[in-house]
Amino acid sequence: MTEKMIQFQNVEKYYGDFHALKDINIDINAGETVVLIGPSGSGKSTLIRTINGLEDINSGKLIVDGYDLASPQTDINKIRKNVGMVFQHFNLYENKSTLENIMLAPRIVLKRDEKENHDIAMSLLEKVGLADKSANMPSELSGGQKQRVAIARSLAMQPKALLFDEPTSALDPEMIGDVLDVMRDIAKDSNMTMLVVTHEMNFAKAVADRVVFMADGQILEDSKTEDFFKKPKSERAQQFISQIEHH
Amino acid sequence: MSIAMTLASTIEAFNYYNLRYLFIGLLYTLSVSVISIALSFVFGSIFGIIVYEKIPYFSRWVSIAVDIVRNLPLLLIIFFMYFALPNIGVHLSIFWASIAAFTFFESAMVSEIVRGGIMAVDKGQFEGARANGLTNAQTMFRIVLPQAYKKIVPPLVSQFISLVKDTSLATGIVLPELMYRGQIIYGQNSNYMIPVFIMLAIIYFVVNFGLSLISKRIEKNLA
Ligand SMILES: Nc1ncnc2c1ncn2[C@@H]1O[C@H](COP(=O)(O)OP(=O)(O)O)[C@@H](O)[C@H]1O
Ligand SMILES: [Mg+2]
Repeated sequence: MTEKMIQFQNVEKYYGDFHALKDINIDINAGETVVLIGPSGSGKSTLIRTINGLEDINSGKLIVDGYDLASPQTDINKIRKNVGMVFQHFNLYENKSTLENIMLAPRIVLKRDEKENHDIAMSLLEKVGLADKSANMPSELSGGQKQRVAIARSLAMQPKALLFDEPTSALDPEMIGDVLDVMRDIAKDSNMTMLVVTHEMNFAKAVADRVVFMADGQILEDSKTEDFFKKPKSERAQQFISQIEHH
Repeated sequence: MSIAMTLASTIEAFNYYNLRYLFIGLLYTLSVSVISIALSFVFGSIFGIIVYEKIPYFSRWVSIAVDIVRNLPLLLIIFFMYFALPNIGVHLSIFWASIAAFTFFESAMVSEIVRGGIMAVDKGQFEGARANGLTNAQTMFRIVLPQAYKKIVPPLVSQFISLVKDTSLATGIVLPELMYRGQIIYGQNSNYMIPVFIMLAIIYFVVNFGLSLISKRIEKNLA
């Protein structure tokens, strides 16, 4: 039986009067890689941010790693321990070195042994190709390097799932490849659940099990990657794809 | 009075006894300042965080209190601490009444500066930390506050420079600080008035200019 990592059931979300998420229903299984696409303002960030509680939902059910997010008994920090997030603008701790960025949360949240913590952090830095930057401050790194450190920081928590919100959108074109390579590596790990908001269609084609297409706060399509790229069902998705691919 | 006589009394004014007398005044000024700065840094930070955190009701009341205190004349607070508190059974010495008044007032000022500093920290820093599994408190104390303090070194130091200057108001409750002792000296010999004022000006300047140099140092080290 496949275990469900993330389940949305009739989820609604408002910002004031603005209806940002409309009747969202998705299941993401453990180990799956799902790419979420859609035009700007369609609610992709809102959706992905509800999963780790950065945004609250107004109604419906959202179950992540077995925890019901709407329940007052749920300790959101428990979910965040197991669900990492990578942001468009990195959000590295500006007052901490690269190595400290990676070691901080395992030390104070997981109480990981210091030596083990250091070893894990260094091996992650190696994995993302930045072992030589361990002592640098975030301000001394390029955007692409920052994002790779941010990914290493998330991985150091040894999460079950990783959320990516346009991880390459703020990067110079020549930096994008390195970040996508790291993400591709992570996706190969069959235990890791990944939900990725991106406009990188080649990445989606290569690694995604499924593609979810959103517009105006609704999910218009949720298909296997092959099916989606062969022929999207909705006209909005067809338009969107052809627009992106002609850029 | 001839210029020669003025000059003579100027030199005379700088005699050992007067200098020693002023020096003890400086020690009062400095100790009241340093203790008040330390206390108002702590309390101001706590109030600033409380107001920032928007805790239901509580933050509102702290915020209102801060606004009230910030808009009161400092002298009123000093008089209140020394003359009015005994009427409700709280007796403070002149020294501690002064510190209570300065701490009370400066905490309100510092809390606004700290709150502004926290608000100036990129929202992404909070989100990065929360998403990384840190609690609210861990996020505040390990990630946000260090960055906020770094941003507010200049306004904080200029607030503390004002505090050093404002300790002269405690003359009003006869705290034997610099200003008070200066008055005592020229009260005995009015020829000393101008030299004493010059001396006081130099001392205040040196102390406060020293503070601003320290502030630049801190800024550089934090950068
Ligand atoms: N904090 C907020 N307050 C009010 N409106 C918001 C907020 N965040 C997002 N929105 C609105 O919700 C809609 C969806 O935003 P978002 O989820 O960021 O879309 P996307 O990531 O697909 O570009 C947009 O119209 C946006 O203006
Ligand atoms: Mg977005």
